[in-house]
Amino acid sequence: MSLCGHRTGGLVGDSKLDLLQGTLDLMVLQTLAGIGDLHGYGIARRIEQVSGDTVLLNQGTIYASLVRLQQRGWITAEWGTSDNNRRAKFYSITKRGRKHLVEDTAYWQRLSGVMARVLAMGEEGGDQ
Amino acid sequence: MRSLRAFLVRLCNAFGTTSDAELSEELESHLQLHIDDNLRAGMTPRQARREALMKLGGVEQAKEAYRDRRGLPWLETTWQDLRYTARTLSMRPGFVIAAVLTAALGIGATTAVFSVVDRVLFRSLPYPEADRIVSFGVKAPFEGLEFMLAPEYAVLQAQQNPFESMTSLAPGGTDCDITEQNPVRLNCAVVESTFLSTFTIHPVIGRDFVEEDGRPGAPQVALISYGLWRSRFGRDPKVVGRELSVNAKPLEIIGVLPANFEMPNLAKVDMLFPQVLDQASLDRNNPRILLRAIARLKPGVTVPEAIAQLQPWFRDSLRFVPAPFRAEVSLRVRSLRDRQTGDSRVGAWVLLGAVIAVLLLACVNVANLLLVRAASRRRELAVRAALGASRARLIRQALTESLLLAIAGGVAGWGLAYLLLRVFLAIAPEGMVRLEQASLDFRVLLFCSGASLLAGVLFGVVTALNKPTAEWLVGRSSNTPRRGWLRQGLVAAQIAFSLILLAGAGMLLRTLWNLQNVPTGLDAQNVVAAQISLAEHRYPNTTKQLAFFQELETKLGRLPGGGVLALSDTLPPSGGMQATFFASIEVPGRPRPSQGTGGMVGWRMVTPNYFQALGIPIVQGRGFTEADRAPSEQPVILSESLASRLFPGEEPCGKTIRFTAFDRQGPWRTVVGVARNVKNTGLIAEADPEFYIPWKDDLETYIGRGFVIFRSALTEASIVSWTRSQIAEIDPTVPVEFSSMSTRVEKLAARPRFNAVLLSTFAAMGVVLAALGIYGVVSFYVSQRTKEIGVRMALGASTAGISRMVLISMATSTVIGAILGLAGTWFGARLMESLLFGVPPHEHRLLLAVLAVLLLVVLLAAWVPARRASKVDPMVALRYE
Repeated sequence: MSLCGHRTGGLVGDSKLDLLQGTLDLMVLQTLAGIGDLHGYGIARRIEQVSGDTVLLNQGTIYASLVRLQQRGWITAEWGTSDNNRRAKFYSITKRGRKHLVEDTAYWQRLSGVMARVLAMGEEGGDQ
Repeated sequence: MRSLRAFLVRLCNAFGTTSDAELSEELESHLQLHIDDNLRAGMTPRQARREALMKLGGVEQAKEAYRDRRGLPWLETTWQDLRYTARTLSMRPGFVIAAVLTAALGIGATTAVFSVVDRVLFRSLPYPEADRIVSFGVKAPFEGLEFMLAPEYAVLQAQQNPFESMTSLAPGGTDCDITEQNPVRLNCAVVESTFLSTFTIHPVIGRDFVEEDGRPGAPQVALISYGLWRSRFGRDPKVVGRELSVNAKPLEIIGVLPANFEMPNLAKVDMLFPQVLDQASLDRNNPRILLRAIARLKPGVTVPEAIAQLQPWFRDSLRFVPAPFRAEVSLRVRSLRDRQTGDSRVGAWVLLGAVIAVLLLACVNVANLLLVRAASRRRELAVRAALGASRARLIRQALTESLLLAIAGGVAGWGLAYLLLRVFLAIAPEGMVRLEQASLDFRVLLFCSGASLLAGVLFGVVTALNKPTAEWLVGRSSNTPRRGWLRQGLVAAQIAFSLILLAGAGMLLRTLWNLQNVPTGLDAQNVVAAQISLAEHRYPNTTKQLAFFQELETKLGRLPGGGVLALSDTLPPSGGMQATFFASIEVPGRPRPSQGTGGMVGWRMVTPNYFQALGIPIVQGRGFTEADRAPSEQPVILSESLASRLFPGEEPCGKTIRFTAFDRQGPWRTVVGVARNVKNTGLIAEADPEFYIPWKDDLETYIGRGFVIFRSALTEASIVSWTRSQIAEIDPTVPVEFSSMSTRVEKLAARPRFNAVLLSTFAAMGVVLAALGIYGVVSFYVSQRTKEIGVRMALGASTAGISRMVLISMATSTVIGAILGLAGTWFGARLMESLLFGVPPHEHRLLLAVLAVLLLVVLLAAWVPARRASKVDPMVALRYE
């Protein structure tokens, strides 16, 4: 089983920033897939709630992520009106985006499983 | 795949107009939504806004991150740098022109000269493994190049020798005529059957010579050149086996030489004949045939080893050399390239040295310019650093500028190189080895461009490496003592190089002047000479030859418009006379010299008007008269140097001498007069002693070639056309070459003229570069000290005093530069010695003159900005930042 990432910056061992960005991307997709169309503020709010400020350094960083996801064609954007009649840009996940989300989720689950086993092995092995 | 799509999108965005408006709107809406939430949660409007902003984390940073993600940042910044560089450079055209011109000069000159010199010095010969091919033979005083006598060559061939294969050829070429329909005169060479195989060359079609072709009595065969095959036979493959009539005899063409074939002596040949040596020509006691010998060394054998291995053979062959001459004969083996480039080599190296000096000067200048520029931009760099530009960004911008200048200089340099090469080829003297094939060498072009790029980048970057400090913001730091030594060094280097170049050029110019004013001993004005060659197959014996010249003399004697006509078998000042050894001249009552040849003595056969036609004065006795041409008379006229050698302190007229010519002892001759010395072996060498005998009709000599000399007031063109018509009446197939005597004499100085012109051009370039450089340095120095100058002037210094102060600051570097330059000149002169004539290597006056010129230039270049400085209003200067 290869641990090589199949997306840019996905190689384990790249900079922490890339890793952070990667997970941020995933969380954005997850949020959009789960909740549906949402504006930038809403996505940021949601991620804050779920991850508790560890991933989102500040809310502004989400916009770089949104641009990246747009460039890859995983989300699309459209101007619209919010509940309180504010004009905002709404993002929605695309079919390709959903597909990528499924693959990525599977990847991360595999990865966490392997990491758990590796760490457990280290504890069992002791000082050999 | 996704990442490719992303990259392409970013590329598009990079080139599109960046619209931040949309993001601003989105960020504004983000804030609003957050504020709304906060208000609903119960905060005051001010608290709500503040908290929202904090959570957002900085609008500008968000925008920056967005922008970085949206487009391609590096592309955008590079484009930005380029636009900025272009703008700033266009504000300083002087600097740009100076930098680009300097780089172009360095690159262009170096490339052009290297393309020429490469041909002479480095280009390989068109034979496989050409560095193993050597020319070998015996060196004797009467023959300029090494040679082999046919019998000794055959002996060596049969023995153990250090050569894988040997071959020989008859010296010079022979004239041969195609004597069937469409007759044409060709150049032919006679070579041994092993010729092509020694060079590892194969005919394009047909076969090579074999040993049988060289046997006496074998059917006559020949190889033709590619050019002849193309022009006469239209590259018809059926030319092999075809019969051709040459010199009125049939021969068979057995093959065609390759297109890039080159004779080892670089002569142009149309046909090769096999050498035929019969038994008689191989008699060691009676050697009659002289050959040039070429061989391919055995693998692993070097030239010194070959010389050592040939010693036994050489000692053996010396047995057959008459004892008095043995000491003057030596063995020589040298690579074929050496033989070909011999005397061009020194000139080529000197040229290369000169051009490298110019290149270095150019680099020094460019470095100077860049340093100055960098120093003047310190404030700007400090501001940019304060605004947040990283060191990398600053360096990148400096790099962009250097690269742009370097590329511009490179392109201009290419153009200049092309031009210079055309000029060189136009003024080059004929016979400079392989010059006509020189073309722009792209390796060198690339190398030079790379060098200038490197220099530009290096100096551009070095200056940006200094971390901008706060002081830079406040204004120019008026103390640059740390940079002082660099500036001084650059000035010294410029002066040194320019001095060397100027001195070298001066010496060569002086040589040229000396050569052109060397007294030739004859008066070349209004003299036209015609060279007539008689083909062997039409004039096979002396009778026919003499008959031709007799008829010629009669016909040409009727030259309209008066004038003087003379005939001679050879013509000064170039060599090629008949010659004999001094030791072979007998004087009655004197013992023959036992040791040595005594050097060469030349002689000519001339009609009585010869001395008048060439303006050679008879200093003692008389010239020849028509009566002297009678069969019974045997007069001789000596040159001054011969007379003083044969009869020192005595009256030569009336004495008798006898000499050996064509292996036969001649009759006793009476000296009737003494003629002034005439240069007869080129302009530089001392004239060989010579004597003259009258042109008679019963000589048992071979006159295949003769010269007709006219001294007349008529124009050259009319003499030429009239003479041609007269000769055509006798025999229309005889080729005639005309030239005026003054052209012949001038041609001898062609090579030194070429050298002198080239080096002078480079010296001039060097001086201009140095002047520009010094001007730049002093300007900068002055601008750095504007405040100080203001203070001084406010305190009462005069304008002269300011100028003096500036000039004195240059003194140290100037002196150092001058000393280095003189040292360099001293070395250079030693190396150039073989190119000089009449110029002693340590000619003080010349060096002093050159030094004075250079100092004047330096003074001028420094004085202008110094004066400008002193003209500044002290109040302005004091406030200047």
